[in-house]
Amino acid sequence: MKLKQGSFLWYLYLDKLYCLLSVRNVKALLEYFHLLDVHHNNTLNDVLFYHFLRHVTSWKRTQIMIVFNMLDWNAMGEIGFDQFYMLVCILLAQQNHLEEQFIFRHSRPVFELLDLDGELRIGADHFHMYNFLFNIKKQELRELYHDFDITGDRTFLTDPEAQTLTFSINVTFYGKGKPKHIIELYKSTDTTKRL
Amino acid sequence: MLIQELNSYQSRSSYKDTRNLWTRATLSQPKLNVPRSKICDDSDAEGSSLGSKTRRGYSRKAGREPGDLHGHLSLEMELRRGSILGSHLEEDVDSKTETEVSSSESWLSMSRHTPHGAYWIEQQNRLPLPLMEVVENEALEILTKALWSEDGPDHFLTKHLQRYIEGLKRRRSKRLHLVMY
Repeated sequence: MKLKQGSFLWYLYLDKLYCLLSVRNVKALLEYFHLLDVHHNNTLNDVLFYHFLRHVTSWKRTQIMIVFNMLDWNAMGEIGFDQFYMLVCILLAQQNHLEEQFIFRHSRPVFELLDLDGELRIGADHFHMYNFLFNIKKQELRELYHDFDITGDRTFLTDPEAQTLTFSINVTFYGKGKPKHIIELYKSTDTTKRL
Repeated sequence: MLIQELNSYQSRSSYKDTRNLWTRATLSQPKLNVPRSKICDDSDAEGSSLGSKTRRGYSRKAGREPGDLHGHLSLEMELRRGSILGSHLEEDVDSKTETEVSSSESWLSMSRHTPHGAYWIEQQNRLPLPLMEVVENEALEILTKALWSEDGPDHFLTKHLQRYIEGLKRRRSKRLHLVMY
């Protein structure tokens, strides 16, 4: 995904350490959001949201609607500024190749975003569905499950283990560590004592 | 020195846009060995406005042309540079902290006594006009596409959207009219 050159979001950037916008950038983003908020509800409905993403990204309709459903936490058919801000940070992280850093810094919100049904578990289907958001490749996902799917049911990663997974994602996905060391680290941090 | 230059520029009829006063005033300052990058870093460290931060974001992108946006967004930078240069002229500065404090103090005193001081203070708290122009133009494009895709022309939401777009267009043309004249 690439942001449209010359668009407003194209001019924004994330703080490279915390992967968030500065206060002044948030202010500008808020102005932008209010301009798009045609009906003065402090929200964007699905039509406006679709046209916004269609204008500034190269995503297709199906991808845009997947993102909308992911962000529409209350199933109201509308997106508020909090969700809009989160989305913009994800877009900018992808644009600037900061996906790894973003997931590391915001593992909890990312986990909650991926955990659509609120079961505090993420399966392979979640990752497949959202790999266009974080650029997680299929082979890397396969390796991760090979290393961490202890129970063999193709689901793992309960909420308390999200931070451990984040570390492992950073190490495994981006080719900086060996699986054996990661498993040892996982065992040492497993607070649930299920292993 | 800086205030006298401003007054002389103000009297000239060719400088109708007050923003040009600051930009051109600083050109009359004697050249000092202060690299622009240092001044940019100093002003960013002081928590400058979105204009300068956004411009730093602009510079990260390859192939970006310093068009109208770049020129207008340099307004904030020129203001800061003017104050910093002014403080250098007055005395020898040993520490960076003294420079920053004196520049901020001289900036405040200048903003109170220079023409259109209240205008510049207000501008500090608002988004730069060129950025708002980008934001409004883009919002207008997105909303116009959304309007074309609506299936129910008589639906109250469609009509609301149509009226809103017309209001945005009127506001934009009014602003363009003011900028030109």
